[in-house]
Amino acid sequence: MSDAAATTGPSATAGAGAASDILLSVEGIHSYYGAIHALKGVTLEVRQGEIVTLIGANGAGKSSTLRSINGLPSPKVRDGRIVFDGQEITHRPGHEIVKLGIAQSPEGRRLFPRMTVVENLEMGAFQRSDKSGLKEDLERVFSLFPRLAERKTQKAGTMSGGEQQMCAIGRALMARPKLVLLDEPSMGLAPIFVERIFETIVEINRQGTAVLLVEQNALMALDVASRGYVLEIGQVVLSGPAQDLRKDEKVRKAYLGE
Amino acid sequence: MTSDARTERLPRLLPRRLPSFTGFFGNLLVLVVVAWLLTNLAKTPGDFFQILLFGLSLGAIYALVALGYTLVYGILELINFAHGDVFMFGGTISAVFILEVFSLGSHEHWYVLWPVVAGCVVISMLICGILNVLIEMVAYRPLRNAPRLAPLITAVGMSFILQDVVLGWRGPNYITVPTTLPRSNIFAVGGVTYRWDELIVLLVTVPLLLGLVYLVQKTKQGKAMRATAQDREAAAMMGINVNRTISFTFLVAGALAGAGGLIYVLWQTQVRFDSGFRLGLISFTAAVLGGIGNLPGAVLGAVLIGLIQAFNEGLSWSAPGSDWTQSIVFSILILILVFRPEGLLGEKTPEGQ
Repeated sequence: MSDAAATTGPSATAGAGAASDILLSVEGIHSYYGAIHALKGVTLEVRQGEIVTLIGANGAGKSSTLRSINGLPSPKVRDGRIVFDGQEITHRPGHEIVKLGIAQSPEGRRLFPRMTVVENLEMGAFQRSDKSGLKEDLERVFSLFPRLAERKTQKAGTMSGGEQQMCAIGRALMARPKLVLLDEPSMGLAPIFVERIFETIVEINRQGTAVLLVEQNALMALDVASRGYVLEIGQVVLSGPAQDLRKDEKVRKAYLGE
Repeated sequence: MTSDARTERLPRLLPRRLPSFTGFFGNLLVLVVVAWLLTNLAKTPGDFFQILLFGLSLGAIYALVALGYTLVYGILELINFAHGDVFMFGGTISAVFILEVFSLGSHEHWYVLWPVVAGCVVISMLICGILNVLIEMVAYRPLRNAPRLAPLITAVGMSFILQDVVLGWRGPNYITVPTTLPRSNIFAVGGVTYRWDELIVLLVTVPLLLGLVYLVQKTKQGKAMRATAQDREAAAMMGINVNRTISFTFLVAGALAGAGGLIYVLWQTQVRFDSGFRLGLISFTAAVLGGIGNLPGAVLGAVLIGLIQAFNEGLSWSAPGSDWTQSIVFSILILILVFRPEGLLGEKTPEGQ
C-alpha cells in the first residue's frame, strides 16, 4: 500500500486488500435515466471500516452512483454488478438493501419536513424492530449531535440547513448500517457547520461504520478519506490513496483550485 | 423615470391588493350566511338544533368518504375518482348481505340486529379495502411515472366500470333494505327531537375516525404512510417498502368507504349504481374545502358540507331548498379552488404547486 501511486483508468483498484474485508464492490455498472446513459462502467470498492470519497464535477455521476447502490428506481442499472457483504444486490429493491446494511443521507437532505426530529430519526430505523437498540441509537445520535437533542419535537422542515444535515446523517445512522452513503453533506452549510459535519464523519467511522462520501468540497473530503475516486462523465478516471490524489497535478488543478 | 417607478411598483402592489379584495367578499359571504343562520335560529330554534344534529350525522358519512380522497391524494397526488363508487359498492354489498344472506327484517331484536350490523361492517370494509387495492394495482400503479393526467383518466374509467358492474348485477332501480335502525326518539326537548339512527351513525363513524388518527399518528405503518406522502424517494431510502405502503393506504381508504357505504344504506335504506357518484363528488368537495391531503381538514370540510346541506334543505326561512344543494356545494368547490386552493386547514408549501 505504501508505494501505491495514483493510478488511472476505470478498472484500477487501489491497493490489494484481502477479498474478505471488501464490504462493497461496484463492478462496471452502467446506469440509465430513461435513455440517458449516466454511468458508463463505474468500478469502485469500499473495505470494512474505511472512508472512501467520490469526487468530481457536477453531473459526473456521483449521486447516480450512490442511487444505483441504494437500489432506487432511477437510474436503472442495466449492466455490471454491485456486491455488498458477499451478496449481490444489483437489482434488489431499495428497502431490502437498507435491511442488509446500507443507509444513505441523500443530497439535499430530504428530511420528512412535517415530521418531528425524533420521528425522522425513527424512520431511519424503519427496518429494525429491536426497541432497546433503537433507544440506544437515538442516544448515540443525540450525543453525536447535541443540537438535535434540543430540537426533538420540532418539525424537521423548520430547522436550519445545518441542523437538517445533522438530522439527515443521524437518520441514516439509525439504520445501524455497515456502510453509510453520504451525499454532499457540506452543501450549502456555513463553514462552522462544515467543520462540525466532517468531524462527525470521522467519529462515525471511528465507531466502526464504513463511509462512502460524495463531496464537492474535495479538499476536506480527501483530508478525512483513506482512499478516493475521481469521476468524470460517468467514469472513474483516477483512483488511489487520498494523500496521493491530493498531490496529483490534475486533481489539484480541477478540484482543489490550486 | 416616472414610468420606471410605476412598473417597478406594480408587481409589488398587485399581490398585496388582490387577497384583501377577495378576502372582503369572502368575509361578506360568511357574514351573510351567519346572519341567515341566526335569523333562522331566532325564528325556529327547535328546527335549527334538530337540523344541526342531522347535519352532523350526514357530515360524518361524508367524512368517511372524504378521508379516502384525501389519504390517496396525500400519498399519490391523485384524485381517485373511483372512490365514490367504491363507497357505492360497499353500500350495495351491504344491502345484498342484509337482504339475501342475513334476510334482516325491520324491527329486529337488538341481539339479532347488532351482530349482523357488526358482521356487515367487517365484510363491507374488507371487500371495499381489497377492491381499492386492486384498483390501484390495475389502474394506477402501471401509470406511476406517467403524466398526471393519465391516472386521472383511468380513475374516471374505473368509476364507470364499477357503476356498470353494479348496474349489470342489480339493475337500474334502487335496492331497498328494511328500516333496521331504530327511529324512535332519544329525546324530544322543546321541539328538538334526536333519533336513535342519527346517533348510531355517529357511534359507528367517530370510533373509525379516531382509529384512523391513531393509525396514522402512532403506528409504524401510519408513520410510513406519512413519510411516503412527504417524500416518496426518501422513504424508499429509509427502507420503507413504498409499493406496500401505497397499497396499505388504498386498503385503509377503501375500508373507510366500505364502512360508510354500510352506514349509508342502513340509514337511508336505499342504494343504487349511481349513488356513489353524487356523494363522491360532495365528499371530494369536502376534502378540498378542508385542504386536500390534510386528514383533520377532510373531517372539518365534511362536517361543514353536511351542515350546509342539512341547513339548506331543512331550514324554513329563505333557504334555497334541496334543488339547490348541488349548486351550492359545487359553487363552494369552485370558490375554494379559485381563492383558497390550499383549503381551510391546508398549509401553503413552498414546493407545492
